[in-house]
Amino acid sequence: MQGAQAGSTSDLEALFRAYWPRTFRAAYLVVHDAAAAEDIAQESFLAAIRALDRFDRSRPFGPWLHRIVVNRAIDWSRARALRAETELDERTPAAGETGVQIDGGVVARLGALPPEHRAVIVLRHLLEYTPGEIAELLDLPRGTVNSRLRRGLDSLAEEVR
Amino acid sequence: MKHELERVEIPGEHEARERAWRVASAAFAARQPAPRRAARRLVAVIAIALVAAVVAAALSSPGRALLHSIRLTIGVKGARPALFSLPTSGALLVHSGSGLWVVQADGSKRRLGGYTSGSWSPHGLYVAATTTNELAALTPTGAVRWSLARPLVRRPRWTGTTTDTRIAYTTRDELHVVGGDGRGDLSLGSAPDLGLAPLAWKPGPRRVLAYALPEQGIVRVIDVDAKGEEVWSEAIAGKVSELGWSSDGRLLLVATTGPNSAAVGLYRLPSRRPVSVFREAPGLVAAALRPGTHQVAILSRPGEVASVKLGSRTIFSAAGDLRGPVWSPDGKWLLVGWPDADQWVFIPVRGGRVQAVANISAQFRSRTLPRIEGWCCAQP
Repeated sequence: MQGAQAGSTSDLEALFRAYWPRTFRAAYLVVHDAAAAEDIAQESFLAAIRALDRFDRSRPFGPWLHRIVVNRAIDWSRARALRAETELDERTPAAGETGVQIDGGVVARLGALPPEHRAVIVLRHLLEYTPGEIAELLDLPRGTVNSRLRRGLDSLAEEVR
Repeated sequence: MKHELERVEIPGEHEARERAWRVASAAFAARQPAPRRAARRLVAVIAIALVAAVVAAALSSPGRALLHSIRLTIGVKGARPALFSLPTSGALLVHSGSGLWVVQADGSKRRLGGYTSGSWSPHGLYVAATTTNELAALTPTGAVRWSLARPLVRRPRWTGTTTDTRIAYTTRDELHVVGGDGRGDLSLGSAPDLGLAPLAWKPGPRRVLAYALPEQGIVRVIDVDAKGEEVWSEAIAGKVSELGWSSDGRLLLVATTGPNSAAVGLYRLPSRRPVSVFREAPGLVAAALRPGTHQVAILSRPGEVASVKLGSRTIFSAAGDLRGPVWSPDGKWLLVGWPDADQWVFIPVRGGRVQAVANISAQFRSRTLPRIEGWCCAQP
């Protein structure tokens, strides 16, 4: 972080390479759309770059970045839910083109949850924040975080049964 | 749970990371780090002295070269310094500050003259070009075949076969269609906003033209062979910025801009209900149907980053504005302009390496990035 603040591109690249995979993954698991996840993660990194000079080095970078990403992902999911969207019915993918896919298992079941619940589960189980830290990241009461975690996990368990 | 979340395969994960790094590193290179508070005053004094020195240096030839190299820190890495060739067959029609140009597949360029806009004939044998008060038909070498004097001519669009063609164009407030030989000019209607109307010929044997009254939000399709009889019309929310047909003539693309109405709709006539609507395009800039398919490339800039999507897949993104997109005739490449980098970027849509060419403005004797008017068919 110090090197990036001083203008070192290689240090910025190290920072990017260290944080991008989980940041992108977290966004994807909340929005379930690879293109949107890319936009969200990318815009979050740009926001971080813009604020680089003002960043307090005594605080960890990860939670700061993850707060931006997860909140943007929740906003995107809410906005999408409000839009009546249709996909191109005759789209023929080009050779080698990748479509949006979600794995089966837990991840598919995650998609059935509201975005706020998905976000809490991703923060807890992918990014490994404690409920107290999640409450701080999302500006939520700790009890709300706990109940969302519990309800989310209960729903996942029900789907499994 | 953690293990399962970590092993999820995300489509295009590697490509997304590299695209994002390209944008992030460009943004980082372009940013100016803020000085630390304690040093700000000293820096301000030094800055004033440096500005004078830099201005003096920039006026010298080596200084200009330095500034030029700094500007190029934004852009696709490894861009070719000049347009040596196009990545596939066909020829480009380009408008720059110095006029209209033709670029052949081997990279050779020819300036046609000081025209303000242009369009290819259906088989690339001619170019319809406009000045403020003239419509002209040219050969790709710039020889004028015929011309018509008309007020505020815009947006010529050419359709037809090798033996019988029509050119649609607008004047200040009228829509006209004229034969490819310059005869039989016909006014097909007038309206205050017709001068800005996007036009698109439907591919096929009949001469069917779509046009929009952009301010009124109305799209009309008329049969020119039936004296301009209306065959379809629809009121569209927002300002219509672009129209286009799929190569098979089955789908009409209507792009609208506006704070709350940016969208790309695909209509299968005669139905008035779009078969598809892409609403997730905040900051919509442009859209284009891929030749030979019903896929749509959408260029949008919702924030500081502009992106090009094909369906739901982001195929290119960049810091700042992008212009275009324009499809290659074979539908394998998408060309966008990147003004901040002074580059043209050729994006392969079936995978492969993005190709970029730098120093575009200078190559077309222009101060701004030239506009691509069309990428025409393979050589006749």
